[in-house]
Amino acid sequence: MDFSIVVSDFASLTLDGIVVGAIYALVALGYTLVYGVLRLINFAHSEIFMMGTMTAVFVTSILGFTGYEDPLPLWRFFLVFALIVIASSVVSGGTAVILEIVAYRRLRNMGASRLSSLISAIGASFFLTETFRLLTDSRNLDFPRMISKEPLFQFSSAYVTQDKLLVLAGAALLFYGLNRIINHTRLGLGIRAVSQDERTSVLMGVNVNRVISFTFLIGGVLAGAGSAFYMVFYEVTKSNVGFLIGISAFTAAVLGGIGNIRGALIGSFVLGLFQQYTAAVLGYNWRDVVTFVVLVLVLLVKPTGLFGEALQKARV
Amino acid sequence: MSAHQGDTKILEIKDLLVKFGGVTALDSVNLHVSEGEIAALIGPNGAGKTTVFNIVTGYYTPVSGSVTVEGNSMIGLRPYKIARSGLARTFQNIRLFGDMTALENVATAADALNKSGLVGSLFGVPRSRRDEKRSMEKAHELLTFIGLEHRAGQLSRNLPYGDQRRLEIARALALEPKVLLLDEPAAGFNPQEKVELGELIKKIRDRGHAVLLIEHDMSLVMKISDRVSVLDFGKKIAEGTPSEIQNDQRVIDAYLGVVEDAS
Amino acid sequence: MADLSRFNLRDRFGDWWDETSPIQRGFTRVFVIALFYALPLINNPVIDTPETSFQSVLFYPLVMFSLMAVGLNVVVGKSGILDLGYVAFFAIGAYTYAMFALKTSLNFWEILPLAMGFAMLAGVILGLPALRLRGDYLAIITLGFGEIVRIVAINTEAIGGAAGLTSIPGPPAFFGHEFTVMDPRPYYWLTLTLLSLVIWGVLRLSHRKPGRAWEAIREDEDVAEFMGVSTLKYKLWAFIIGGAVGGAAGAVYASQIRSIQPEMFTLNLSIMILACVVFGGMGNIWGVILGAVLLGYLPEKLRFLSETRIIFFGLLMVVMMNIRPNGLLPRKKREVVKEKS
Repeated sequence: MDFSIVVSDFASLTLDGIVVGAIYALVALGYTLVYGVLRLINFAHSEIFMMGTMTAVFVTSILGFTGYEDPLPLWRFFLVFALIVIASSVVSGGTAVILEIVAYRRLRNMGASRLSSLISAIGASFFLTETFRLLTDSRNLDFPRMISKEPLFQFSSAYVTQDKLLVLAGAALLFYGLNRIINHTRLGLGIRAVSQDERTSVLMGVNVNRVISFTFLIGGVLAGAGSAFYMVFYEVTKSNVGFLIGISAFTAAVLGGIGNIRGALIGSFVLGLFQQYTAAVLGYNWRDVVTFVVLVLVLLVKPTGLFGEALQKARV
Repeated sequence: MSAHQGDTKILEIKDLLVKFGGVTALDSVNLHVSEGEIAALIGPNGAGKTTVFNIVTGYYTPVSGSVTVEGNSMIGLRPYKIARSGLARTFQNIRLFGDMTALENVATAADALNKSGLVGSLFGVPRSRRDEKRSMEKAHELLTFIGLEHRAGQLSRNLPYGDQRRLEIARALALEPKVLLLDEPAAGFNPQEKVELGELIKKIRDRGHAVLLIEHDMSLVMKISDRVSVLDFGKKIAEGTPSEIQNDQRVIDAYLGVVEDAS
Repeated sequence: MADLSRFNLRDRFGDWWDETSPIQRGFTRVFVIALFYALPLINNPVIDTPETSFQSVLFYPLVMFSLMAVGLNVVVGKSGILDLGYVAFFAIGAYTYAMFALKTSLNFWEILPLAMGFAMLAGVILGLPALRLRGDYLAIITLGFGEIVRIVAINTEAIGGAAGLTSIPGPPAFFGHEFTVMDPRPYYWLTLTLLSLVIWGVLRLSHRKPGRAWEAIREDEDVAEFMGVSTLKYKLWAFIIGGAVGGAAGAVYASQIRSIQPEMFTLNLSIMILACVVFGGMGNIWGVILGAVLLGYLPEKLRFLSETRIIFFGLLMVVMMNIRPNGLLPRKKREVVKEKS
């Protein structure tokens, strides 16, 4: 195991870690928000992300990209990309809302056990993964390169490229938007209320069903937007992409303290960085095992994560 | 008053300090239950009475203080060990094993005092078979004692409310507790049922179990308790015989004059 | 819809069973058991499966799924612990058998307890830390465990790496009957016998103290602890038993299929077994076997289901939780209602 790589490539690994962390964060927020209001892990959230990636590929094929074109001029790229982000967000957000109604709501009203809800979520997750596996014939789907990946400048060992900047800028924008929604809108207030105390929220006149649907919607939209960024950065997807991203994002959410929005953000970046450093030393094929190990360790040693509380209320 | 009352303290709670986050739930609480006595713990809602039960049975750990049963400390022990050491409880909101029969509910608790393990049960070794027989007999006996023998084969969640409350008591008794902790056993009972419950508790005491009772029904408390302790905002504000407590101004104030007449 | 959710096969059968005499029951038992052993001898186009031979299907997936479903049932159905990584025990059993069979001169019967032992050990290693956690987290960790086992298998050249292990020997001849690659029937009978033993064991435990403890844990874990049940001990035992059964199934599977690769032991398999338990009736041993038989057989029989198997299973899980969470044969006991004397 060569630890010197971490030193020599520190800037590069760090930059990549932050970019990956930003993508994880967009997915992790979905897990943490839903957990905050439902005290439930939305197992199928990973497939919400996957469908976003599929939508992105679909839009590019409709627009006529073959993958062999040169990168677009920047203004055209932004137009196309905006379209993709919107499409993916809509599909992911919509699927999330439908998912809640079909797989969770009835069980919630029936007062079903957590086991039942979890099983229903798992069933939904596998249903979606397999459906898309068949639709895509188990193939990898490529995303055309629409933006130049030539380094704009170099900082130590890090090559700063446009797509990385795009991811960081886009994510920052979305985080800001989320903050405004959570802290400055009525529905955001509803989310915070239900996260803290559902029963009292009902008594105070909060429409819990609407809040929950809205929470799923936000989580889905974030994941959908994240999937668009993911596609620009990684340029490939397949039907089970949700699984690995989901595990990382979920681990990030738990690391930060599930239910805690700030924690999800910080946990995502920490995990993104940690993954880059360990992958450099151990090799990329051990990355997922390492992620699992982190998850297990966090759950065993400090299940409330970095910022969680013992009673696991959602805090912003 | 009971002729069995002694001075031996079975359950002793000393200087119990309990905090949840920033909230002090119990503040230097001292309580005890002596052999052969029926002790009551009363106080307004939120005073910390159920918290006492939760600490004593090991669900939470106190910040400081001691809980001993016949001199043995219960702090830090897992709840199942405490249950086997002589503290058994019932719950404010009935918590039976709904999909198990009444008999099975009681037998599960009766099992706890048997030492036989899984491998023994699988191969039917003599000790396992004896323990199985013993659990079943004890369960039947307790159901009969409490008057639910005819319900033995019914799912506990299908039982009428009153039977469910009594089943919980039978289940707790299967642990042969030195102190039986009853959390609002009369909730939802009509006056006749409360009278019967009072008789039942006395019978339980006569069988050799001390009783610590959380109750809101003052007439019941006054009629059967030997000693009453009063909690308010996590502190013990009074302790004494029922008649002393009834006339204690601090107690009356704590309840804001809502103390019912002991008629 | 309401009738669908309340229809109770179990009670109907139970009523009939109560009416029979001990002699009738003995005959029924013998008849049923003989019927199951005789299944591979039936050659009927109605039950035949298009892709693979019926005898082969009987071995895998039917009786294999049944065995694993019974094992998983102890964990999920009886004790209420959601285990999403059951395939790990299966894999450990298979790899243990393969490695010992290839590297040592031990035969199948000698390795079988070792395979079970390693799987049980894995159950303890997983369970000791994981079982202190709450439901959702525990489920995720078991899932992680399953994946870790698979990834470690892929990345460890010493146990074959991604290519896996081949030329694994089968069991030695049993009273003159050979275990050949071509004929799945002896393996079927072997597994059926194992299944019968496991059923016997699980039923024995269910009707005694362990069964009550598990049910209490499933009903209300906190209260079980208050009533003197050492929940950690019994949850660990559920894992150990589940592991032992899964490991045994893995060993038999490896001995039949003669070559194993890590890609055989995926999360999908864990989910399929879980679907059998959920669909058939959580906690009800006959229910999960029925579930395993149905979910194993139907995709083999109906070609369109064969391709879309997981989609169907996933959808089934969602639908079952919504309509009939207790499965086909519910766990609910039959009540004995008496009048107060």
